[in-house]
Amino acid sequence: MTTLAKKLGVLFALLTIAAAPLLEPAAGAGKLSLWRLKTYIPPADKILDLNAQECAKKAAIELAIQTYTFDDMWTKFTAAIESKTLPDIAELDAVGPARLANLGRLSDVSDVVTAATRELGPILPNADGAVKFGGKYYAVPHYAIPLVLFYRSDILTKVGAEPPDTWEDIQKVSEKVKKAGVQDFPNGFPWNRTGDGYDPAMSLLWSYGAAWVDRSGKFTGIPKAQGLEALKVVTRAYVADKTAAFDYLSWSGATNNEAFMAGKITFTPNGPSILFQEESTQHPLLKDTAIKVMPKGPAGRNLALTFVMNWAVPTDGKQQKEAKALIGCVMARENFVKYMTGSFRQMVPLFAKPLDDAYWNTPSGKIIVDTVKQGHPVGWPGPTTPAAAEVVSGNVLTDMITRVIVDKVAPEAAIDEANKRIKEIYDRLPVK
Amino acid sequence: MNALTDRHRERLLGYALLAPVAIFLAGLVAYPFLSAIYLSLTEKIVGYPAHFVGLKNYSALLESGRFRIVAWNSAAFTVGSIVVKLVVGMAMALALHHVVRGNQFIRGILLLPWVIPTVVIALTWKWLMDLFRGLINVALIDVGVVRSGVHWLGDPTLAMVSVIMANVWRGFPFFGVSFLAAMQTVPQELYDAAAVDGAGGWHKFWQITLPSIKGVVAVVTLLSTIVTLNDFNIVYIMTRGGPGAATHIFATYSYELGIMSQRWGLAMAASLASLPLVALLIVAVVRYLHREED
Repeated sequence: MTTLAKKLGVLFALLTIAAAPLLEPAAGAGKLSLWRLKTYIPPADKILDLNAQECAKKAAIELAIQTYTFDDMWTKFTAAIESKTLPDIAELDAVGPARLANLGRLSDVSDVVTAATRELGPILPNADGAVKFGGKYYAVPHYAIPLVLFYRSDILTKVGAEPPDTWEDIQKVSEKVKKAGVQDFPNGFPWNRTGDGYDPAMSLLWSYGAAWVDRSGKFTGIPKAQGLEALKVVTRAYVADKTAAFDYLSWSGATNNEAFMAGKITFTPNGPSILFQEESTQHPLLKDTAIKVMPKGPAGRNLALTFVMNWAVPTDGKQQKEAKALIGCVMARENFVKYMTGSFRQMVPLFAKPLDDAYWNTPSGKIIVDTVKQGHPVGWPGPTTPAAAEVVSGNVLTDMITRVIVDKVAPEAAIDEANKRIKEIYDRLPVK
Repeated sequence: MNALTDRHRERLLGYALLAPVAIFLAGLVAYPFLSAIYLSLTEKIVGYPAHFVGLKNYSALLESGRFRIVAWNSAAFTVGSIVVKLVVGMAMALALHHVVRGNQFIRGILLLPWVIPTVVIALTWKWLMDLFRGLINVALIDVGVVRSGVHWLGDPTLAMVSVIMANVWRGFPFFGVSFLAAMQTVPQELYDAAAVDGAGGWHKFWQITLPSIKGVVAVVTLLSTIVTLNDFNIVYIMTRGGPGAATHIFATYSYELGIMSQRWGLAMAASLASLPLVALLIVAVVRYLHREED
């Protein structure tokens, strides 16, 4: 053997050793991978992990759990979709099942749903639209984090106002608070690029009858008259009455929580995580913090249910049966109730029976459950579709609002722009 | 004959030893770059196969009012940041050049912003500029400069100024340290001779320092322009491109298109839109440096 051959041999051996971990399969026999959302409630996350690990142990499966936040969920999933490395079990957001099922990357989990309904009762009809396509379930609804209206009860008492029930009321009370010199910018509705922006944007538009699709999910466009009314009521706070600060339009998902708990705003839409934070820290504002179902409009109270998490079994996984069994175990009544009751009212079930649990029989619990029951999936009044998902994730709705507020575009033109963008999306991603 | 064979073997060994690095570079630099160019010429939705559409994505972007706003914001963010970094970095270098005692310590302190992770810097600035609880507003109100908080991240113009400030704070040490290193190579005799001729500090700077370090200035400016044009963290964390689209730049826009909307083809086109400008800048700087060498 020549010196050159020896050296090349050593080089090849080193490269092989270096590449060995890359060639190893992600999950071998008896191993499952599970990706879940890292929520704002760490104790609940801990219970979920314990439940899942217990289930895995019973089935003699080694379970590897990875987490993501709302911010990086689609970064992680996008890479996994392209590289065909989706996990065995994926906890997907409200639009995830529609997107992945449309790609043919999710297994039919109707059998798991059937088993879950035996223990937990029927799925709420409004949750179906996000997980059931062509008569089959492609995900098991896990829980919803409903957005409720947080308000400062002490400030409302001070200015002699009732808790607002309409979008108009929020504006009127905000003006009162400002005029009374209590707060400069009490109206903390952020029309920004986070869920706290686009979830209320849908509730607002739908409450004014300004949905962009019909019942089949096909594009109809935001009706001009209704859209204008909706835009008028929320842009007034920024451009006319100045009860909201432009800064709210740059907020991140957590900033409205912080502003509310710092006592700087009277109203904000948020998941119940503010309650968790205030309760767990015995916050001085806890006694003055109240919640209410999000406001209604002329067309009724048509709330969006954007923060819904669902268990799915991607087709990339080699152990479909085990993955389904593990979801079934996690969703078993005992496990689910343990998780739900440890969630500080953040994780609201989408099955009928646990919603009747005594746990929700508190003033705030009833409001939270009521909100979930009234919620509609993304893309309402149609089902959730990839196109509807893109309208939301592309920030088309909040862009429409901020075009009026920041760029001083006429509301009519802003609606036209939004409709043009939405039509382009629906033309590109036609509803099947 | 034997000698030739040995040389041949040696050459082969050389190529073999170079091969891992070449493969590494091709895999990590050339492939993603060429792949990005190809994707920008396709209609590529995440999970679906790519379809070649030629320049359709680029023409769609050119027609998009939103992209024009993003391009303008990117230019304002980059030019604003670079100009201020250039001035502050030069001031830092000039000041340190004349400091004798504690020079190393001060240099170390001034390098801190460059060492701290960008995420930490962005979060810190976001907090500093918060309307209600930000240190800057609290201080301004306390000393009576303003009666209510300044909308640093709310006013569209101020929001751009704010993200530029954060970027400058992070980036000026790179300019300063590079300029300082270059200044220290300028022969002292040139300054002594100029002093004999009666040149003042300003003249020495314009006639000796700046011409002597202009190569470094050009390279540092070019590198920083590329990095700033592709910046993502500062804007995403501080404003998410808001209010509205007032600070939406190429990187945040590409993220919105590529990850949130799953439109990779269009996202790649958006992120490559600045490539011709950057390429022109690189060519100009390289040609300039060659001319200087000649």
